[in-house]
Amino acid sequence: MLNLQSIPLALLQALVLLALTPLMTGISRQMRAKMHSRRGPGVLQDYRDFFKLLKRQDVAPADSGLVFRAAPYVIFGTMFAVAMALPVFTHFSPLGVMADLITFTYLFGLSRFFFSLSGIDSGSSFAGLGASRESTLGVLVEPIMILSLLVVALIEGSTNLGSISASIAGGYAKSPTAIVLAMLAFGFAVFIEMGKLPFDMAEAEQELQEGPLTEYSGSSLALLKTGLGLKKVVMAQFFIGVFLPIGAATTPDTFSAVLAVIVVPLRLAVVFLLASLIENSMARGRYMLTPRVTWVGFGVAALAFVFYLAGL
Amino acid sequence: MNSLELLLLSVLLYMGSALLSLLCSRVERTAINLCGIGGMAAGVAGLAASLPVLLSGHGMSANLGGPFAFAEFTVRLDPLAAFMVFVISLLATITSLYSLSYVREYEGRGAWAMGFFMNTFIAAMVALMVVDNAFYFLVFFEMMSLASYFLVVFDQHDEAVSAGFLYFLIAHAGSVLIMGAFFILYTCSGSMAFESFRQLHLSAPLASIVFLLAFFGFGAKAGIIPLHSWLPRAHPAAPSHGSALMSGVMVKVGVFGIIKVGIDLLGATSAWWGLVVLGFGAISAVLGVLYALAEKDAKRLLAYSSVENVGIILMGVGVGMIGIATGRPALGILGLLGALYHLINHAVFKGLLFLGAGSILFRTHTKDMEKLGGLGRLMPYTAAACLVGAMAISALPPLNGFVSEWFTYQSLFSMSLDGGFAFRLAGPVAVVMLAITGALAAMCFVKFYGLIFSGKARSEHAAHAHEAPAAMTWAMGLLALIAIALGLCAPLVAPIITRIASSLVGHGALAVAQGTVVFPGDPAQATLSTPLIAILLLAAPILAILIIGVFKGERLGRRHGGPAWACGYEQEDRMRVSADGFSKPVSHMFDALFRLRSALDPAPCLHASLQRVIAGATRVEPMWEDKVISPIVRVVQWIGTKVQWLQHGDFRIYCLYVVAALVVFLMIAVA
Repeated sequence: MLNLQSIPLALLQALVLLALTPLMTGISRQMRAKMHSRRGPGVLQDYRDFFKLLKRQDVAPADSGLVFRAAPYVIFGTMFAVAMALPVFTHFSPLGVMADLITFTYLFGLSRFFFSLSGIDSGSSFAGLGASRESTLGVLVEPIMILSLLVVALIEGSTNLGSISASIAGGYAKSPTAIVLAMLAFGFAVFIEMGKLPFDMAEAEQELQEGPLTEYSGSSLALLKTGLGLKKVVMAQFFIGVFLPIGAATTPDTFSAVLAVIVVPLRLAVVFLLASLIENSMARGRYMLTPRVTWVGFGVAALAFVFYLAGL
Repeated sequence: MNSLELLLLSVLLYMGSALLSLLCSRVERTAINLCGIGGMAAGVAGLAASLPVLLSGHGMSANLGGPFAFAEFTVRLDPLAAFMVFVISLLATITSLYSLSYVREYEGRGAWAMGFFMNTFIAAMVALMVVDNAFYFLVFFEMMSLASYFLVVFDQHDEAVSAGFLYFLIAHAGSVLIMGAFFILYTCSGSMAFESFRQLHLSAPLASIVFLLAFFGFGAKAGIIPLHSWLPRAHPAAPSHGSALMSGVMVKVGVFGIIKVGIDLLGATSAWWGLVVLGFGAISAVLGVLYALAEKDAKRLLAYSSVENVGIILMGVGVGMIGIATGRPALGILGLLGALYHLINHAVFKGLLFLGAGSILFRTHTKDMEKLGGLGRLMPYTAAACLVGAMAISALPPLNGFVSEWFTYQSLFSMSLDGGFAFRLAGPVAVVMLAITGALAAMCFVKFYGLIFSGKARSEHAAHAHEAPAAMTWAMGLLALIAIALGLCAPLVAPIITRIASSLVGHGALAVAQGTVVFPGDPAQATLSTPLIAILLLAAPILAILIIGVFKGERLGRRHGGPAWACGYEQEDRMRVSADGFSKPVSHMFDALFRLRSALDPAPCLHASLQRVIAGATRVEPMWEDKVISPIVRVVQWIGTKVQWLQHGDFRIYCLYVVAALVVFLMIAVA
C-alpha cells in the first residue's frame, strides 16, 4: 500500500519547505518592522541568524535533563515528517498512508508535548511558565482544529488528507457554506498555531519570550528555531493543502510541475503576509483572557458543523 | 495441557501461593518471594491459557457441576474472556516481578498478608472472567472487591481507612444493582446460567431496566463520573503494585461487565443504550483528565486519569453498541476494536506509570509532586520508562495509546457519516470531547513528568534518591517495551482484537490491516501506519544531526552547567514550577467544571445519609431503655426509698421489731 516511488518526492518537498522556512519567518519579521515604521533587518535575516547560531557554543543549565537536550531534535524531526506527508506540489500526499487528519493533529501534539516538557526540563521558572502556557494553548486550539477538519472530512467521507485535497480542488461542491466556515475556523487555529499575537508573546517581555526557548542557545537554539519555523510553514501548508489546493499539479507533465514549483512558495508567502498583517493590527491581550477569543474560533467551527448537518 | 487446564493451573498457583504466604508470617522474606514467584508463574500460565484462544478465535467451555443444585459451575473461555484473562495475566506477571523488591518496604508490617490479598485478588479476577453463571459471578465479584478493600486499607492510616470505607460502600452499592439485574434475568429464565440469559427475549422496557441496573452497577466499579469519587481516593491508598492492578485491570472488570451484560447477554437491542454509554464515557473522559490535571499527588493524578481512560474505552463500547443495535456490524466491530485496544493499552501504560510512581515512593517516601523534582538524573531508568508511559497515555504517535484512540476517532467518524440525526450529532460532539481530552492529557502528563523528573530536587529525600532495585526497573522496562510494541505492531495486533470484537457482534471479521498499515474497515476512509511514522520520526532527526555536524566550524563543545536564567537574579526555590502554578491557566479557564466536581460528588451525600442512619440508630437504640427498663428501675428505686424508713439505725427500734415479730409468730403458732 505504501508507494515507494513517491518517497523522493516526499523528501524533496520536505527539503523545499525547510529551505523556505527562514524566508517565510523573515517575511513575517520584515512585515512587522514595516508596520512598526522600522526599517527591518531584511527578509533574509533568519538565514543569517541560523548560520550564526550554528557556530555558537551550546550551553545548558545544570538542572536541565535529557528531554531538554532531545526536544529540538524531536520537534524538528516531527515537523519534517509532517512536511514529507503533506500534499504540497500535488493533490495527493506522497506518503498517502500517513496523511491522516487525526494523525497530523496528534503529531503536532507530539511536538507540543516535547516543546512544553523541554521548558520544565530546563530547570528555569520562566521556561516553566512558558511550558504551562504552551500546553494550555494546545487545549484551546486542538478542539477547533479537530472540529473544523472533521466537518470537511465528513463532507468528503474520508479523513485522508489526499482524498480531501483532491476532492476540494474540484470545487466546493457539497455544503459550500460549511466548508467556508470550517476554513475560517481552521485558519483561526492555524493563526494561533503559527505563534501569532495576541496568543503568543514573541518579542514581548523577555521573561515570556517564546516560553520554553528561554534556556536554549547555540546550535540547539538554531535547530529549535528552525523546527518551530518549519512548524509555521507546515501549518500554513496544511491549511492550503486542505482548503485551497489551487495550482497543485494534477497531471505529471512539465507544465504543471513548473506551475506547482512557482505557486507553492507564492501561496505560502501570501498566507504569511496575511497572518502578519492581521497579527500586527491586533492589540495584545491578557493571557488569561485567551479562551474568550478562542471561543469565537470554536463557535465558527461549531457553526460549520451545523451548516453541514443542514446540508448547506 | 489445553487452555482450561492451564487456566485452572493458573488460579491454583495464585491461591496456593496466597495460602502458603499466610503460613509464612514469621519468615516474611520467604512469603514475599513465594507470592512474587507464584504470581509470575500463575501469570505465565494465564497467558499460555488465553493466547491459543485469542489466536484461533475459538472459545471453549466446560461444566464442572459444583456443589449447589441451583447453580452449575460452568467455565466459558470465549474470546472476550480470553482477552481479559490475557490482560490480567500480563499485568499480574509484571507486578509480581515488581513486588519481589517493592514489598520489602512492608517487611515487618504484614507483607505476608499483603501477598495473600494480592494473589487472592488476582485469582478472583481471573475466575470472574471465565465463570458463566450469575451466582459464581457474584461470588467472585465480591471476593475481588473484598480482597482489594484489604489492599486499600493496608496502610491503616486515617486516609486509607476512610478511603477504604467509601470504596466498600460504593462497591457494594454497585453489587446490589448488579444483583438486581441478574435477579430480573433469573426470574425470567428460571436459571442462574448465563447461557439461559442469552436465550431470553426480554421485552424492551425490561431489557432496558436490566441494562441500566448493570450499567450503573458495573459503572461504579469502572469509576465513571459521577460514581467515581472512591477511585481517586482508594487507588492511591493501596500499595503501588496493587494500585497498578486496580487501575490497570480492576476498573476494566467494570467495563467487561458492561460489555458482558449489554452486548453478550442482552444483545444490545436498543440504540439509546449505546448513546448512554457514549455520553457517560465522554463526560468521564473530559472531567476525569481535568481533575487529574489539578492534582498534586502523583498517584491521585494517575487515579483520576484512570477515570479519563475508562471514559475513552466506554466511548468505543458505546459506538459498538450503537453499531449492533442499528444493524451496522462493521461500525459495531470498529467501536469495540477501539474500546478493547484501549483497554489493553491502558492496562499497560497505567500499570507502568503506577509502578513508576511506586518506585519513586519507594526511594523518596513521598507522592507529593511538589516535593519531588530532578529525579531524571538520579533515577534514569525509571525516568525513561515513565517518559514512554507519559507519551503513550497522552496518545502521542506512534505509541499504543494513539493507535487505540485513532480507532476510536475513526469509529466515531463512521458513526457520524450516516445513520439517524442523533448519531450524526453525537459523533462529532464526542470527537471534540475526545480531542479536548487528548490535549488535556498531554498537559497533565507534561506536568507529571516535568514535576517529578525535571529541574531541581525540591526536598532532601528527592535530592538523595537513587535508582530503584533491578526487579522494579525490569518490570517497568518490560511494560515500556510492551507499550511501544503495541503501538508499532498495530497491524499485527488489530486483527486479533478485531476477531474478538466480531465474535461479540456475531458477524464475520472485518479487514483492518494490510502489510504495515491499519485502516477502519475501508482504506479509503483513513489509514495509519505506525511503523512508517516511527521510521520517519527516527530518521528525520538524522538530518538535524547532519546539519549540526556539517556546520560545526570552530564551535566549542556543549557546556552543561550554571544556573538557569532568572532575569539576572538568583534562582530561588519558591520560583520553581509548582503543580498548582502549572495547571493554573486551565483551572482558571475551566473553573465552572471544577466547581461541578464537588456538586457531582456523591461522597458527601453518602456521608450525610450515613450520618442520618447513625443518628437514627442512636435514637432507636435507647428506646428500649427509655420505655421499659428505666420505668421498672424507677419503680424499684421508689419502693426502695419507701422501705428505707424501716431502717432508722436505732438499736431500740430493732429490739421492738424482734419483740413484734416474736409476738406475731407466737400468735400464728397458737392459732
